[in-house]
Amino acid sequence: MLVFSQSLISGLLIGGVYALIGIGLTIIFGVMRIINFAHGDIMMIGMYLTYNLFTLAGIDPFVSVAITIPIMFLFGALLQKVFINRVLNALPQNQILLTIGLGLIMSNTMMLIFTSDYQILTTSYSSSSFRLFHISISQPLAISFVITAGITALLYWFFMKTDTGQAIRATAQDRDAAQLMGINVKRMSIIAFGLGSSLAGTAGALISPTYYIFPQIGSTFTLKAFVITVLGGMGSILGATLGGILIGVAESMGAVYISSGWKDVVVFVLFLLVLVFKPSGLLGKSRA
Amino acid sequence: MKKRFVALGLALLMAAPVAAFGASVKIGVINSITGPEAPIGENLTNGIKMAQEDLKKKGVNVDLVWEDDTGKPQIAMSAMEKLATRDNVAGVVGPYTSACSNAVAKLAQRYKVPVLIPAAAKEEITRQGYMWVFRMNAPADVYASVLIDAALTAGKPKTIAFIYENTDFGTSTSQSAKAYAQKKGIAIVADESYSKGSPDYRSTLTKIKAKKPDLVFMVSYVADAILLMRQAHEIGLKPQAFLGGGAGFTTVQFAKEKQISNYVLSSTQWTEDVSWPGAHDFGKRYKAKFGKEPTYHAACAYESMMIMAETAAKNAGNREKTRAGLKAGKWNGIMGEVKFADYAGFTNQNNHQMLVEQIQNGVYETVYPKKWATRKLIYPFPGFK
Repeated sequence: MLVFSQSLISGLLIGGVYALIGIGLTIIFGVMRIINFAHGDIMMIGMYLTYNLFTLAGIDPFVSVAITIPIMFLFGALLQKVFINRVLNALPQNQILLTIGLGLIMSNTMMLIFTSDYQILTTSYSSSSFRLFHISISQPLAISFVITAGITALLYWFFMKTDTGQAIRATAQDRDAAQLMGINVKRMSIIAFGLGSSLAGTAGALISPTYYIFPQIGSTFTLKAFVITVLGGMGSILGATLGGILIGVAESMGAVYISSGWKDVVVFVLFLLVLVFKPSGLLGKSRA
Repeated sequence: MKKRFVALGLALLMAAPVAAFGASVKIGVINSITGPEAPIGENLTNGIKMAQEDLKKKGVNVDLVWEDDTGKPQIAMSAMEKLATRDNVAGVVGPYTSACSNAVAKLAQRYKVPVLIPAAAKEEITRQGYMWVFRMNAPADVYASVLIDAALTAGKPKTIAFIYENTDFGTSTSQSAKAYAQKKGIAIVADESYSKGSPDYRSTLTKIKAKKPDLVFMVSYVADAILLMRQAHEIGLKPQAFLGGGAGFTTVQFAKEKQISNYVLSSTQWTEDVSWPGAHDFGKRYKAKFGKEPTYHAACAYESMMIMAETAAKNAGNREKTRAGLKAGKWNGIMGEVKFADYAGFTNQNNHQMLVEQIQNGVYETVYPKKWATRKLIYPFPGFK
């Protein structure tokens, strides 16, 4: 029982970070219909940003999120304005090539600057934990879970209640109609990509006190984000949140009850099952 | 592109005769200079560069032909073919990784070129009866057996748990460890492999904790080693000893994480404070030259190059005589006594004595075997601070 609840908690906590990555990807897809293959690499840049703010300026990773969010937002907005906006009406394979190319440039630039060595960020609480009913809970992961929950709630409010949020949703629903209604869709796209990037960067920042950093780390998370997004339903924020947590728990349970070497298999079998029985994803609406 | 190749070919042709006049012996080096193994490959490169300087002092001029295998066996093979046929080297030192070394070994046999492998662990490499393939370092099974021996002399562990990455290196090291543990009458209570790069090993470690093992044996590379120990700390895993088999537990970066790395035992081919002739001096000069601590890879590569170049020079670059010289020779240098012998199914394998080190206050101390130890082994594990 202890082993069960322990792995459930670990899965939930790590799932929170996965959710954040997935939400970023799903927003970008929802608004632009572009699958951002550079998503993991954007996250990697967030990790390096956090790492350098910590080692050079001594800013705690959880505090530096406040700096990472706006910087990554501007970075994403710039990418959208300079590159992505140009291919919005291009063939899907061209869009994919563009984002893959951008990702490669990012990871190789980081490799030139920081070499391919693993970097480990060690804070005073990196390996500390507290106990709740005999279950040990990682302190940094618990903090990042709280931050994730806060950000998700804020995001939900933003999309539901604010004018800009509603305009972004309108753009996602029907780009042409939104434009006819007087919404500046190019601007909404820039905001959406900026949001997606800052979420990916934040996920990178939140995971860095407990993980390690190297320039090629992005691909692992791009794949994960992709699975999460499809699982939850492409374009659905709630779906991505659910998908992220589900994948976190599935990995954790798979590791305990089957074998740690097989946990990815558990995740992908789950993924296939969802695709077979509900092709539009758990909370996705199929679009004609 | 084609033009560039032609130009390169011409340049090589013109360079070749010049080089032949200047040098007395030509040795090939295959190493992972770029690619994912490059951080470790760099240590081998440094060791070989130091050997080249020392050989010059001894009056042996070595002309090195460098080849980069980028960590891929097929590239290592084409490098070997080039060295054997185009460059006409007297012998080859390298490659670094097990996969590359195993591929190169077959070609060494075919082209009849003596190859001295400095630091690849896979047992099979010298178990195929290849008379042209020599190995400096101890093979994978010793990594494990020396650790278990150290634990058995220090205490009376009855159970052991394994956690290792599901790569060639991880599975083969833990396989021999499992066999050795069983032979010594230690029961295996958990056997967990993991795919590397996952951010969360807590569930696996919890499962292991529930079995209450006396020893926990881990095989992983750098970053995962730190992650595993951090999370073991988090969930409160407390065996009698943590045994770190392999690369990740023998790095300065790992030792620096004092809070989690203290008292972890690991096996290594070489330490700086071991009393083998010249080891300490090598460490000092290495640090002065490259500005970082030498790893065992550097020492293995250094000694391999010294032996290969000296033997080849003595035999005027004749491959057959060099091979015979390696087989018959006996050395005593920074790697201790070296002799390429046939035993227990191995051919031309140096029966190298591996060492066990323990991290004490952020520093690696040699603790086993007693003959070479500088500090007492602390057992059982006193717990995380």
